[in-house]
Amino acid sequence: MLSFGIPMLSSRRFWFVMAAIVIGLLPLVFTDSYWQTNLIVCAINVLLAVGLDFVLGYAGQLNLGQSAFYGIGAYTSTLLIMNLGTPFWIAFVCGVLLSGFAGMLLSIFAVRLRGHYLAIASLGFAVITYQILLNWISLTQGPLGIYAIAPPPPLGIPGLPAIEFSNLANLFYLTAGFALCTYILLDQLVRSPIGETLTAIREDEVSAASLGINCQRWKVFAFAVSSAVAGAAGCFYASFVGTLVPDAFFITESFTILAMVIVGGMGTLIGPVLGAILLTVLPEVLRGIGDLRLIVYGVSVTLVVLFMPGGMVQAGRLIFGRLHRRAISAEAGSAP
Amino acid sequence: MLTVILQQGINGVVVGSLYVLVALGLTLIYGVLVQINFAHADIVTLGAFAAYFVTHLLSGNYFAGIAVALVVGGILGWLVNATIFLPLRERGSELLPLIATIGVSIMLQNAMLILLGPIPYAFNTPYSSQVIRFSGIFLTVQNVLIIVVSALTIALLYAFMKFTFLGKALRAVSQDRETAGLMGINPNYVIMLTFVIASALAGMSGAMLGPVLVLTPFAGTTVIVKAFAIVIIGGFGNVEGTIIAGLLVGLIESYTTQFLDPGLIDIVVFALLLLTLAVRPTGLVAEKREENV
Repeated sequence: MLSFGIPMLSSRRFWFVMAAIVIGLLPLVFTDSYWQTNLIVCAINVLLAVGLDFVLGYAGQLNLGQSAFYGIGAYTSTLLIMNLGTPFWIAFVCGVLLSGFAGMLLSIFAVRLRGHYLAIASLGFAVITYQILLNWISLTQGPLGIYAIAPPPPLGIPGLPAIEFSNLANLFYLTAGFALCTYILLDQLVRSPIGETLTAIREDEVSAASLGINCQRWKVFAFAVSSAVAGAAGCFYASFVGTLVPDAFFITESFTILAMVIVGGMGTLIGPVLGAILLTVLPEVLRGIGDLRLIVYGVSVTLVVLFMPGGMVQAGRLIFGRLHRRAISAEAGSAP
Repeated sequence: MLTVILQQGINGVVVGSLYVLVALGLTLIYGVLVQINFAHADIVTLGAFAAYFVTHLLSGNYFAGIAVALVVGGILGWLVNATIFLPLRERGSELLPLIATIGVSIMLQNAMLILLGPIPYAFNTPYSSQVIRFSGIFLTVQNVLIIVVSALTIALLYAFMKFTFLGKALRAVSQDRETAGLMGINPNYVIMLTFVIASALAGMSGAMLGPVLVLTPFAGTTVIVKAFAIVIIGGFGNVEGTIIAGLLVGLIESYTTQFLDPGLIDIVVFALLLLTLAVRPTGLVAEKREENV
């Protein structure tokens, strides 16, 4: 972490508090519904990106099936609410659990396959899930989609007025707050021995196994966590957009999430956050240029892989490292 | 009933032989480089569009269209190798080139979307309306053309791999790049050649798929996910396995459409893929390459 010699700046707690303050201020700065909508999309994308990064950047498993887990979370929670009248938060937990379970199902293949085989197996899983959503019309209404999905129910805290989530700012607080909590949890996880274990598996599976690491169990774990996070993002997406169509969970969505992780910098947790924000906001800023904005994803991924594989995090380190060195040499020069 | 089975069998072979052409390109590249080129999909699409425009400009000369698609594919393959795979080879990463080509694919797809629009193009060749009919089975001349051209191409490729020096060099590089280098084969040249051949095949199969598929900028993606399945079911890097698996997938598709439901095609194909991976990850025809399983 870059601290510039100031101890407070290297404290994680300080940065988490700063992030919470920024999240609190954002809807106050961007008051129009257009930008508040984008803020919520940002928060959902951040969730998706850190989820994918956990399995890709830390455990080193290229999972192209993230769109499937996103879709499973969205459809599970929505169908439970619409068909069975399940309360939102119970449906949310069910969606997250089922996505996590689906991730474990896919990891049955991951424990036997590596690299390209896993990439294609997960892609196949995403295609199957998409086709099921599209063709199981009696359940999902297929391409017609599900409409009029209610936002999360108001949250009543005794002694305070209920928090309505039909209000975009409040919905942003909910999703971004959840994303921040997820980030903090994953941050604890990757800095714990579990993180070290996953990194060992990423670097060299055979050596990791020879150190007594049960690679299969940890891969299943990484897949389950990653897909559960994507499932949570799906639940928020459904209640935020209000309509569900299978096309939102086509395999290209997996590529979009992958682009965010790569552009931000995989193998770090802050990278995917930056990548998700950049790739959500930049196309909106470029909207004036028309359809050209979608090319941004492709161009940025290709250029990042070719010239800066560490993504925005690597670029940031380079720039700050240079500034830091300049500051030190300036100090040394002015000293008598 | 028998005629229906025969009719669907022929339809399956037509689609299957085109899948084989696309999948063979992927297999060849995987053989020499152990890498996946995701932009292969868009080479197929660009080949289809190149053939479409040439055919319609030259008042229906479909063969000129196929030839142009072949050349366009070859050039694109050379470009992808020179800009993506060659610079990334020194880094030795398994996944970075795959991710970079996903980026290229997103880029090409959206560029085509801007230039050509999302509305499907009606690609009619002079041969799609001529029907041959015998004992209740219908066959368009286009279908015959597809089967003949695919069979010829596969035979030529097979002969090239088995009997010419370059073909032998290609197989040598795919078995052991370093030893092949010591024997005086320039691996970089062979890899470049493989990309050109594989992508020319993709462009050509695009030209023939164009009239069969819904021709949009995303046409290649739907084909490529099946080509991936075929390549894995057949055994990655294995030419014979790919041919068998491609025809198998084509037949599964047409019989699923006939007897089950067209919506189930992808589910059946990918269930077969996952089953193959679970039961026999080396594919139908096993090759001595086991580092990924």
